[in-house]
Amino acid sequence: MILYTMMPQELIYQTEPSEFNRQKLITYEGIPLLVQMDEGQTCTVIRVMSSNPVHFMSATCFPGAKITLA
Amino acid sequence: MNDDLRQNGSENEEQEKPKEGQSSSLIDKIQQLGQTNVPQLSQDSKIHCLTIVGQIEGHLQLPPQNKTTKYEHLIPQIVAIEQNPNIEGLLVILNTVGGDVEAGLAISEMLSSLSKPAVSIVLGGGHSIGVPIAVSCNYSFIAETATMTIHPIRLTGLVIGVPQTFEYLDKMQERVINFVTKNSNISEEVFKELMFAKGNLTRDIGTNVVGKDAVEFGLIDSVGGIGPAMKKLNELIEINKKNNEGIVQ
Repeated sequence: MILYTMMPQELIYQTEPSEFNRQKLITYEGIPLLVQMDEGQTCTVIRVMSSNPVHFMSATCFPGAKITLA
Repeated sequence: MNDDLRQNGSENEEQEKPKEGQSSSLIDKIQQLGQTNVPQLSQDSKIHCLTIVGQIEGHLQLPPQNKTTKYEHLIPQIVAIEQNPNIEGLLVILNTVGGDVEAGLAISEMLSSLSKPAVSIVLGGGHSIGVPIAVSCNYSFIAETATMTIHPIRLTGLVIGVPQTFEYLDKMQERVINFVTKNSNISEEVFKELMFAKGNLTRDIGTNVVGKDAVEFGLIDSVGGIGPAMKKLNELIEINKKNNEGIVQ
C-alpha cells in the first residue's frame, strides 16, 4: 500500500501508548541511562545518556548490560 | 561471529555455573558484550561529549524503536556543562538525519551561546537541521566520507492555509539560513544556491555535500576526525583560559 500524503508516518500509524512505557530514563550509580524494562526488576541498558566520557567506561553500565533495580 | 561468542558463553555457563556465583557474573559480561573489561579513564574528564544521533525529535514523540536525540535531554546537559567549573570544553559528535527545525535550532542556539569552547565533528551524516548544529560550535570538523544534505525546510504538519503556510515556511527558512551564515564562513548566496539546486537529489531540490566540499563552500572549518578535533579543542581551551586570566587581573 502506498499512501500519498505529506502527513508524518507517526501520525497515521500511531504507536501503542504502552510501547512508550517500555523504555525509561533512570539514573544508576549516578549515570543517566535509557533502559528497557525486562520482566521483574531487571532491565537492559539501551543507551548511556550522559555527556561525561567517563560514564561510558563504566564496567557495569554499558549498552546491552543487564542491571537490577533495587 | 556474534553467534560464536554467544555459543561459547553458553557453553561456559553450563560448565561453570555450579561452581561459584562470581564466575557467572563474568559470564554475564561475556554474553553482554563479548569482553570482560573496558579500559578505565581517570575519574575527572574536563572535556564532555554530546552525541547527536538519529532523528532530532520535536514536539511529537517518536516510537521507541527510533533512535532519537531529544531536546529535553540535551538542553539540561548543555546547561550543566555551562555551569560546571570542572568542565572546560565540549565535543559534539553528529551523525543525524535531521528532524524538527525548532528543536534543532534550539540546540544550535544553546551550543553557539556556550561560553566554553566547543568543537563539532560530523561523522557519517549531518543532514538537514544537523547543518546548523554542526556550524554552531566554535570550530567544526567533518570526516572525509561524511555528508551533509542542504535542502529547504518542509512542513509535515496539519496547517493547510496556503499563503500563510508559505509565509511561515519562508520565515522558518530564513531562521535556518541566518543562523548558518552567521556561524560559518558560507555566504547567503552560496548556501541558498546549494539549498535550491536542482538535479542533485532525486525528486527533491538541494545538495548533498561530502567532506571536502563542505569545507570548500565554507560551511565547515576543516576535514578531520577525532584526533584533530581533540587537538583543536585543547588549543581553544588554552586560549579561553588565558582570556579568563586576563579578565581576573
